This record gives sequence, C-alpha cells and structure tokens, in this order.
Amino acid sequence: MTQHEFHPRVKQLLDGELTLADLPAELRAEGEEALRLLAAVDRSSVSVPAVTWRVMAAIERRRRRPALWWLAPAVAAAAAVVLLLGKPSTPPATVSATVVTVRFVLVAPGARQVSVAGTFNRWDPSATPLVRSGTADTWVATLALPPGEHQYAFVVDGARWVPDPAAPAVDDGFGRRNSVLTL
Amino acid sequence: MMRTGMILGLALVAAPLDAQQTIAERLTGRVPAEIAALVQELGSAAAGRGLPVDPMIQKAIEGNAKAIPADRVASAIRGVFAQLDSAAAALRDAGVASPVDTVEIAAGGFAITAGLRGRDIAELARTGRPTSDVIVGLRVAGTLAAMGVPREETVRLVGTSLRAQHAPGELLALPGRVQSEMARGATPAQAAAGLARAAAAQSRHGPPPDRGRPPHPPAPPHP
Repeated sequence: MTQHEFHPRVKQLLDGELTLADLPAELRAEGEEALRLLAAVDRSSVSVPAVTWRVMAAIERRRRRPALWWLAPAVAAAAAVVLLLGKPSTPPATVSATVVTVRFVLVAPGARQVSVAGTFNRWDPSATPLVRSGTADTWVATLALPPGEHQYAFVVDGARWVPDPAAPAVDDGFGRRNSVLTL
Repeated sequence: MMRTGMILGLALVAAPLDAQQTIAERLTGRVPAEIAALVQELGSAAAGRGLPVDPMIQKAIEGNAKAIPADRVASAIRGVFAQLDSAAAALRDAGVASPVDTVEIAAGGFAITAGLRGRDIAELARTGRPTSDVIVGLRVAGTLAAMGVPREETVRLVGTSLRAQHAPGELLALPGRVQSEMARGATPAQAAAGLARAAAAQSRHGPPPDRGRPPHPPAPPHP
C-alpha cells in the first residue's frame, strides 16, 4: 500500500486505464516513479498454503466534506448538554470534517470472491466485497474511512484471511497478522 | 450549581451501566456468551480505570469472525486490556492531564501492540504538543514500528517531528516517506534516521523554501 499523493492521471496509469505514452510529458517521470514503486511492492510476495498471492494495494486519499446530516447527532448532543446544564462549560465536541477515500486492490489468481474485513466494518467478511477490475485476477474496493488507525485483512473465498503484505502489519493476538492503515 | 452537581453525580453512576449496556448490545449474537461475559467484566474494570472499551469489543468480534477458539480469544482480549493499561500508565507518568483521553490511550495501546514500550509512549507524550497531535504521533509511531523501523529510530523520528511542530498531515506522511526511502534501497532504520536528521535540521533552520507548495502545479488553462 502506498500513501503517495499521485496526480489523478498517474492514478489512472496505476489502474491500467492509461499507459505511460498517454501521460503528458510533465507527468511521465512521476508515472515512471509510481510504476517503479508498484513493481517494488509486487516483488514482496508472500506464500500462503499452496498458493502464492501477489497482493498490492494502492491508496487514494481524497479529502471530502461530510454530508450535512452527519452533523445532526452532534448538534442534537450539544443541544442536550445546553438543556441539561443551562450553559455549557466547555465548547461542544468538534466533528471531524474529513473522511479519507481508500482504495484496496488485491491480485488473487484463482479466487472466486474476495472481501476486506477490519475494524472499520466490525470484521464482517461479507460487509465489503471487492469487485473484479481490469484483469481477471485483480479485485478492488473503495471505502471512505474516518481518520485514525485501522486494522484489516483480506478474506479470500470466504475463509482464507490474508494480510496485505504491501502494508505494515501487527500481531493480531491469535498468531496471525493484521494489516495497518493509519489515516 | 447544585443541579449541575446532581447531574454529574447521576452521570458518574450511570456511565458504567451505559457502558455495560453498550457492550451487551454490540456483542449480542456476534460472540459466544462466555466471551461476551468476559468483555463485560473487563469493560467494567476498564471504565473504572478510565480505559477505552472499544478495542476489547473489536478484538472479541475479530476473534469470532476469524473462527478462533474461545480460550484464545479470551487471552487476546486480556492482552488488549493489559496493553491499554500500560499505555494509560505511561501517559500518566508523562504528566498528561488527568483523566487521560481514552483516544490517546487507544493510540498508545496500538503503539505497544506494534512493538513500542511504555517509556516510548511517555517520551512522545512529553513533547509538549497538544493531545490531538500526540494521538497522531502515537499512531504514526505504531505504524513505523509495524513497518520494521526499530523502536529507537521510531521514537527519534516521531519525537523530533512533534517537537518541530510538524502538522498532523506531515506526521501522517512519515510512513510513506520511509517507504519511499526503502524502495530506494534504504533499510527501515536508515530511512527513519535520515528523515529524523532532516526534521531536526529543519527545526533548527526553518522549513525548506518549497515547503507548503502543492505537489502539482495547477495545469495551464486549455486554449
């Protein structure tokens, strides 16, 4: 997983939607660098029983404004404090103004289904399926996540928990590894 | 004044009950009964010690999702409790305002999970930065440790960046910058040490002239 802020055209290159030749001259160096980094990630493959999975993940960070209805619970809570205490002694809690769009990409040859499960979806393997994209072996999901530290793993064919070898990982307490995403 | 005191008193009594109810609601149907009972028990203890409960709930749900045997899930949940307790103790030792922010404790617990120690947490908390910045620093430190950066280099890099008053966005960029250096052939320790030197030099001499410029200049208008 990379946390580079690539130009949108370079991201299209990484997605296979463009080739280097399609990029304007001023972006080609950045495109080559992005491909070089991606190639470095690809080389860090790991083996899991009987199958070698090449996992790559690219992260796309875009700041987005939340919909106004997100503010409603905070406004209601602040109003409740005012009603209870007469006058709030401290300012009401601020609401995070950003979410981060994260793109998960997994290359899993032969997989029938792939999902991502983690702290952001209560570790539910059915909550966030990846969809096939581009080549048959590439699976993709895009999520809007709040800033913070998230742990996750890919779930292949509903049973095989695969950490993302392109991302940092920590002990999950069960003898396996969870990938880490800090936004 | 009296009304405020009564409300605060009721809130103090009600808080553990609310926490218990929330734990039960979040775990019902998701984990075996004995795991739910354990989280309830530890959750009460955690609330009494000012620790966050969410990491233990998450670990219980994670263990069930991964079909881990209940005894191993219980052991992992107790481990999470211990890490949170260690993080809270380290933050109190660092002189962080009491009660310690539960989000900060959770960030410290993650850093300990990733391989840092209590004294590392305390050192980062002593940088004098606002709690929100220390929280980001602890998360970034845990991420760097998870990338293989040794403890000492992790604390030096994040501590230097915090003392240099780097913005949270700059702190969050550190793992990517370390990764870039590693892609060029540096070890995690070398990459972190180089960035720490640069941060220290920057804090002495001020930011480089291009700091703050957008990574891509705006495209010229189409004719």
